[in-house]
Amino acid sequence: MKSGVNKRPELKRGNLMAVKIFIAADRLDSVLEKLATKIDLWIPALLKGDKSGPTGFVPYEVGKAPAFDRQTTLPLKKVLLPQEETLLRFEYKKDPEGAPKTTIALDDHREARPTLVFGARSCDVRALTTLDRVFANGPYVDPYYVERRKNTFFATLVCKENDVKCFCSSVGGGPADMEGSHLKIVQVDDGYVVEALTAEAQSLLDGLGDAPDAARDAKAAEMVKEASGRRVGDVDTQGCAEAFRNRFPQTDYWVQMVSQCLSCGVCTYVCPTCYCFSITDEVENLKGERLRSWDSCMFYHYTLEASGHNPRPTKLERYRNRVGHKFSYIPEKYEGLLGCCGCGRCIRSCPVSIDIRQVVGHLKENTNEQ
Amino acid sequence: MTDSSPRSSAPADETAATKQGIKIVGFLCNWCSYGGADTAGVCRFKQPTDLRVVRIPCTGRMDPLFIAKSLIYGVDGVLVSGCHPRDCHYAVGNFYARRRMEAFKAFLPFMGIDTQRFKYTWVSASEGQQWQKVVTEFSEQIHRLGPNPGVRLRSGDNSKVSSGLR
Amino acid sequence: MLENDRNQLHKLVEEALPELDMMIGWAESCDPLQTTPVFIRDAKSISKLTLGPFCSQNLAGYLVKPPALDAPPKPDAKPIGICVKGCDSRSLVALIQEKFITRDRVRIFGIPCRGTVDFRKVAQRVPLANVKSATMEGDSLVIDDSGTPLRLDLEEVLARKCLGCRYPNPVIQDVVIGQEAKPRSSSLAATYRDVAAMDAKPLEERLAFWQSELDRCIRCYACRNACPLCVCQDRCIVETREPRWLTQRVGIPEKFLFHFIHAMHLAGRCTGCGECERVCPMDIPVTLIKEKLNKIMEEMLGYSAGLDPEAVPPLLTFNPGETEI
Repeated sequence: MKSGVNKRPELKRGNLMAVKIFIAADRLDSVLEKLATKIDLWIPALLKGDKSGPTGFVPYEVGKAPAFDRQTTLPLKKVLLPQEETLLRFEYKKDPEGAPKTTIALDDHREARPTLVFGARSCDVRALTTLDRVFANGPYVDPYYVERRKNTFFATLVCKENDVKCFCSSVGGGPADMEGSHLKIVQVDDGYVVEALTAEAQSLLDGLGDAPDAARDAKAAEMVKEASGRRVGDVDTQGCAEAFRNRFPQTDYWVQMVSQCLSCGVCTYVCPTCYCFSITDEVENLKGERLRSWDSCMFYHYTLEASGHNPRPTKLERYRNRVGHKFSYIPEKYEGLLGCCGCGRCIRSCPVSIDIRQVVGHLKENTNEQ
Repeated sequence: MTDSSPRSSAPADETAATKQGIKIVGFLCNWCSYGGADTAGVCRFKQPTDLRVVRIPCTGRMDPLFIAKSLIYGVDGVLVSGCHPRDCHYAVGNFYARRRMEAFKAFLPFMGIDTQRFKYTWVSASEGQQWQKVVTEFSEQIHRLGPNPGVRLRSGDNSKVSSGLR
Repeated sequence: MLENDRNQLHKLVEEALPELDMMIGWAESCDPLQTTPVFIRDAKSISKLTLGPFCSQNLAGYLVKPPALDAPPKPDAKPIGICVKGCDSRSLVALIQEKFITRDRVRIFGIPCRGTVDFRKVAQRVPLANVKSATMEGDSLVIDDSGTPLRLDLEEVLARKCLGCRYPNPVIQDVVIGQEAKPRSSSLAATYRDVAAMDAKPLEERLAFWQSELDRCIRCYACRNACPLCVCQDRCIVETREPRWLTQRVGIPEKFLFHFIHAMHLAGRCTGCGECERVCPMDIPVTLIKEKLNKIMEEMLGYSAGLDPEAVPPLLTFNPGETEI
C-alpha cells in the first residue's frame, strides 16, 4: 500500500485574483454540462420523482436538474466516504501441481479522480473537518480517504434555506461559512454569482461565463452580508464535554432523553460527520473483496464482541455514546473541535423526533437534579 | 450450497439450453423426495442435469428466505419437494410449509419475479418415476423461461440513482 | 373537540397513574407536524400528553422494548398505560396473541382516529422549512407559513395507510377517549386499492418499480426497528455474520432480500399500521409490500391480523384438510 499523506490536505491560496462569474438560471444546465467535461461533477438532486422527495448528492448527468432549494436529505460524506468501498480484491489460486497449496493474489488498485461538488452547503463542508481529523491528520492516515480528499473541490452555496432544525451557528459554523470551500455560490434573483476562493478553482471557471454586472454583484454581496450576520440555532455548547462526563453515569437522565429511540441507523446515516465503518471480507468461492461499509453505533452488532459480551447492550448506552462522541470525546481529543456541524439532519429524519439539541442543551442543567 | 445430488447415471444431453447454463436449485426433504430422487437414479431414469440438490431435514425447515435468496441472486429456478401431506416424517412439517410456500408463491410476482420460476411438490421415496416427471417438467419450464436476470439493474441503469459507489 | 378529548385524556391518566408503572403517549416535538413518544411516570408531566392527527407513531412496539419491558419481568409489576389508535390497537392484539405481553399488563386508552397527517404530503404543498405551526380547525389543517395561513383539507394530507382504514376505532381498549370514528373503508377492494394497482401492471414494470424504489434504501433499518411486530430486533439475520445471509453491500439484491425477509416474517402478522413506511427517510413505500401479503392472507386464508387476541396467526398453524389453498 502506498504510504498516506500525513498532513491535512491544505489548499494553496496563492496570489489570487478575485474571479467571479454570473450564471443565469436558464444557463445553469449548459454550464454544468461544460463543467462536467473538465472534472467529475456531483450535484444535489432529487432521488425520487416528486419535488418534495428525498434528495442526495449524485454524479451529474446531462439534463439532471440540481436541487438547490433545500438541504439534501443525505449528506455529502459519501463523496469521500462511500457507503460501500472495496479496499482490496483477493483471489486464492490453486497450485496447478495439485498440491493442497494455494497462493493468494491481492489487488488494491484504486483511483481518485478530480471531483467537484457543485451546490454543497457550509454545514456539509464544515463536517469534513471532523472527517479530516480522523482519516487524514494521523496518527492513522487513511490513504483511500486522503486521495479522494485531495482531489475533491467544493462549490458551496451561501445558505438561505436554514429552518428551525438547523443550528450551524451553535457549533462554530454559519450560513455563509466558506471554510474548506473552493468556490462560493450566491443565489441571486435570476441566477448564480460564483466566486473562486482558491487558485485551483479559478481555472474551473474559465470560459463558463462573464463577470456579474454591478447590480448583481452588489446584490450578491448584500446577501452574503445578511447570511454572515444570521445566527442559526441557539444551543449552548460551551463546556459540553465536561458536562457530558458528569451526566454519563446518570441513567435517569438518559432514560428520560432517549426512551423513545428506536435504535435504527437513520441519524448516523444522514449525519455528515458520523464516520464509523465496518470492514468485512465478502467472499464467494475463491474470490473475494475486503469491503468497508458504513456502520452505525445505534446498532446492537456495532459493539458486539466475539465473546458474546456487548458493552452497549441497549439503546440508552448507544445513544449516550453518540452524544458523547460528538460533544465530548471528539472535542477532548481534537482541541475543542465539535463532532457536529449543526445541519439538523438527525432531527429532521428521526422517526420519533428526538432532538439532539435538547439532549445537549440539558447536559449542563443542574446535574444533581435527579 | 453443496452439490450432493444423487444424479441420474444417464449422460447429460448437450442441448442448447444446457449451454445457456441454466441452474435450478432443488430443496429436497431427506425422508421422501431425496429418497425419491435416489430411487430415480438407481432405476436409471433419464433426468435433466440442471438441478442442484440441497438436502433439508423436512420441508418444515424451508425458510422462504432460501427461495428468495436463490431467485434474487439469479438462480433460474427453485424446486421444493417433500413428503405428501399427512405423510411427514415429523407429522406436520409439510403442513406448515404448504401455507408458507403458497403465500410466498402468490407474493413473488408482486415484487416482479416470475412465479413460474418456483414450484413446490410432494414426492415420496418410492416414487422414482414421479420424480423423473416432476424434474423433467420443471426443467423444461425453466428452459422455456430462459436465464433469470435476477434483480440487478441492467448495466447503464446503474447511474440512474447513485449506488454510493464512485 | 380535540381540546375536550385532550382534557379527558389528562383527567383519565391522572386518575389512573398511581396504579400504573408508566404511561406511554404522545407529546409535541420541535416539529409542528410530528409528535414524539413520551413516557410518563409523574403527575406533573401529564400535561405533555397530546392527541390529534400528528400522533402518527405506533406506540405498541415500546411495550416489548426497554424501558417498558423489564427482563426478567417483575411478578408484582404494575400495568403500563398506553394510548392506541385503531391501527395501533391491532398491533397490541398481535403482541398479546404471540404472548409477548399479557392483556392484564396493559391499561389501554383507546383513541378513535380520524387519520394521521403524512408530513411528506404537506411538503408537497408547502416547503417544510416554512411551517411554523400547524393546527386543526374542523376538517382542515391550518399551516402557518410565516405569512398568510394555508388551509389544507385534512383528507389531502392523510397518510396512505389511513385512506383505506377499516378499523379507526381501537379493537381492544379499557377506556375510550372521544367519539367513535367512521371507517373509511369497509371492503377489501378499497383497503387494498394500491396493491391492486400494482398487480395490474406487467411483471417487468413491477420489477422496475421496486428496483428504482429499493435502490434508494440506505439499510438504516428504521422500517424494521419501528415495526412493533419485528420482534427479532438485535438478532435480525440481515446483520448477523453467522449465519451470513447478506453482505454489507448496498446493492439492489441485498436490499431486495432484506425487504423480502422483512415482509415474509410479517406474513399473517402485519396489522398494516404503516410505521415502516412512515419512518423511511428515503420515502420508499415499504408498507405496500406488506399490504400485498396481508391481502394474500385475507383472500387465501380469510385472516386479518390483530383482531382477535385468542386467534393464532395463520402461518403459525395449519389445517390438514385444506388442499386447495
